[in-house]
Amino acid sequence: MTAIVVANLVKRFGALTAVRDISFDVASGQVTALLGRNGAGKTTTIEILEGFSAPTSGTVRVLGADPHRGSRAWRARIGLVLQSTSLDGQLTVAEALSLYGGLYPRPMAVAEVLDAIDLAGDAGTRIGALSGGQQRRVDLGIAVIGRPEMLFLDEPTTGLDPEARRRLWTVIQNLTASGTTVLLTTHYLDEAQYLASRVIVLADGRIAADATPEGLRAMGGAPVIRFRLPAHAPALPGRLAQHESQHEVTLPSDDVAADLALLVGWARDYDVDLTGLEVGPPSLEDAYLSLTEATSHA
Amino acid sequence: MPRMLAAQIRYQLTLLTRTPRVFIAGVLMPGLLLALELGKRHASSSTLTAAVAGLTIFGTLSIAYLSNASALVVAREDGVLRRWRASPLPAWAYFTGRMIAAVLSADIAALVVLLAGVSMAGLHLSAGATASLIAAVSLGALTLACAGTAITPLLPNGQGANGVLAVTYVPLLIFSGGFGGGVQGQPHWLTTAMSYLPVRPVVDAATHALEHPGPMPARDFLVLLGWAAGCLALSARFFRWDPVRPAHARRPQPA
Repeated sequence: MTAIVVANLVKRFGALTAVRDISFDVASGQVTALLGRNGAGKTTTIEILEGFSAPTSGTVRVLGADPHRGSRAWRARIGLVLQSTSLDGQLTVAEALSLYGGLYPRPMAVAEVLDAIDLAGDAGTRIGALSGGQQRRVDLGIAVIGRPEMLFLDEPTTGLDPEARRRLWTVIQNLTASGTTVLLTTHYLDEAQYLASRVIVLADGRIAADATPEGLRAMGGAPVIRFRLPAHAPALPGRLAQHESQHEVTLPSDDVAADLALLVGWARDYDVDLTGLEVGPPSLEDAYLSLTEATSHA
Repeated sequence: MPRMLAAQIRYQLTLLTRTPRVFIAGVLMPGLLLALELGKRHASSSTLTAAVAGLTIFGTLSIAYLSNASALVVAREDGVLRRWRASPLPAWAYFTGRMIAAVLSADIAALVVLLAGVSMAGLHLSAGATASLIAAVSLGALTLACAGTAITPLLPNGQGANGVLAVTYVPLLIFSGGFGGGVQGQPHWLTTAMSYLPVRPVVDAATHALEHPGPMPARDFLVLLGWAAGCLALSARFFRWDPVRPAHARRPQPA
C-alpha cells in the first residue's frame, strides 16, 4: 500500500520556485524524514501534502485523496504536528485532548494519550504554564488522539533542549510502533537517523538523495579516518596535517591501509596515544553536507 | 454534529471566561461607568434608562466585537486556527460555536449591568423589559461578532489589532450613545449616519426594550440583520486562517 504519491510536484510563489518537479512515493507504515536546509522546499512540500496549499503543477495523493480537497472523513485519518506550537494556553492538557478527541470517530482515551506523551501528572495544568518541550508533547498528543493512519511532523523538536528532544523521540517511537505512516521534516540529522527508515534530502527544491540513513552515509564518499589529537601533540606528517582542524583529524581516505600505516608510524615515533581512533563511512552529517553543498554549487 | 457544536460552544466559553480582558471590558468597565454616570447628576428615569442601555451595549461591543476580533487574530498568529482548519471540524461549526459563545457571554454581561442599574439606582425592571433587552443584546452581539470576524483580514497581527479595532469601535461607541450619556446635540447627518451603522441600532433597541418592552423596532432589526449578513458574506470570501508570511520568509535563506 502506498500512503503518499508525489509526481512531478512544482510549487511557485511569484517568481520564486520553491519546489522543482519532485516525485516520490511513501509506503504505508514507513517513517520517512525530509531533510534540507532552510529554503530547500521541505515546509512547502509538507504543507501541500497536509492540504494547506495547492501545487502549481503535478499530482499529490495522500491516503488516496487530493489533500487540497480533503474531506472531513479524510482529515479524520490525518494527524499533524505543525512547525510551531499551536495550542490555546488557557485550556488544560486534558481539556485540549478531550476537545480534539471528540472530533474523531474512534479516538484514543485521554488517559491513554496522557500516558503516551508522559504528561499524566500535568493533566489539569493549563497549557500556557507548561515548558516548550511539554507543549510540544501536547501538540503530539492532539495529533495522534484520532488514531491517524498518516502523521505529519514538521520540525517537531526545533528549539527544544537535548533532553526534551530525546523524550519526544521516545514518545514518537512508541506512538509510531503501531504502523502509522510518518513524514517528518527536521534539521537534525541525529533525529532523522533515530526515527526514520528512509531519508529524502531536498536541496534547492529538488531531491538530492533518497536512501536509508545508512545508504545516505555511504553516498558521502570515501571512508573516513577520525581521531582527536592529544594536547601538545607533535606536528602531523604532511597529508594528515592538511585534514586537522581544532585538534581533530577527519581524513577521507581512498587508501585506508596506507593512511593508517602513516598514522600509526607517526604515533609510534612520537609515542602518541591513538585511543579513540575511528575508521568508518562518513557520518550522516558529512554525507548530508557533501550532498547539499554539491547541489547548491551545481 | 450537535455534540461537536456543543463542545465548540463550551470550548469558546471556557476561553472567554479565562480571559480577564473579557471580564474587565465587558462587565467591570460598564459597571464602573454606570456608577460614575449615576453619581454625577440627579438621574431622571429617561437618563437612567439611556445610561443602562448604552453601557449594556458597551459591554456587548467589547465582548462580541473587540475581544472576538483580537482573539481571532491572536489564534491565527499562534497557529490555533490552522490546527482547527486541519481537523475534521467543519469551518461553520467553529464559527457558529464562537458566535454563540460571544452571544451568551454578552447576555450574561448585560444581566450583570442591568442588576447593577437596579441595585445602584433603583431601575424599575419588568420581566418583559429584561427579555426584550436580552433579545436586543443577543442580536446585537451576533451582528458585532460577525463584524469582528469580517474585519480580521485587515488586522495583520495581534500587536496591530488593538489600534485598528480602537479606530473602528471608539467613534462608533461615542456617537451611538454607548458610554451611557445619550447622543443629544449631535448634527443630524451624524445621527443619521450612525443609525445605519451596527451600534446605534442596538443601543436604540436596548433603550426601547427598557422603555416599551416588546419586539424590537423593525428598522433597527433590519439594519442589524443586514450588517450580520454582509459581514458573514465578507468573512466567507476574505477570512484568512493563516498569518501573512512576510515576503522574505518565503525566499530561500542562506544556510
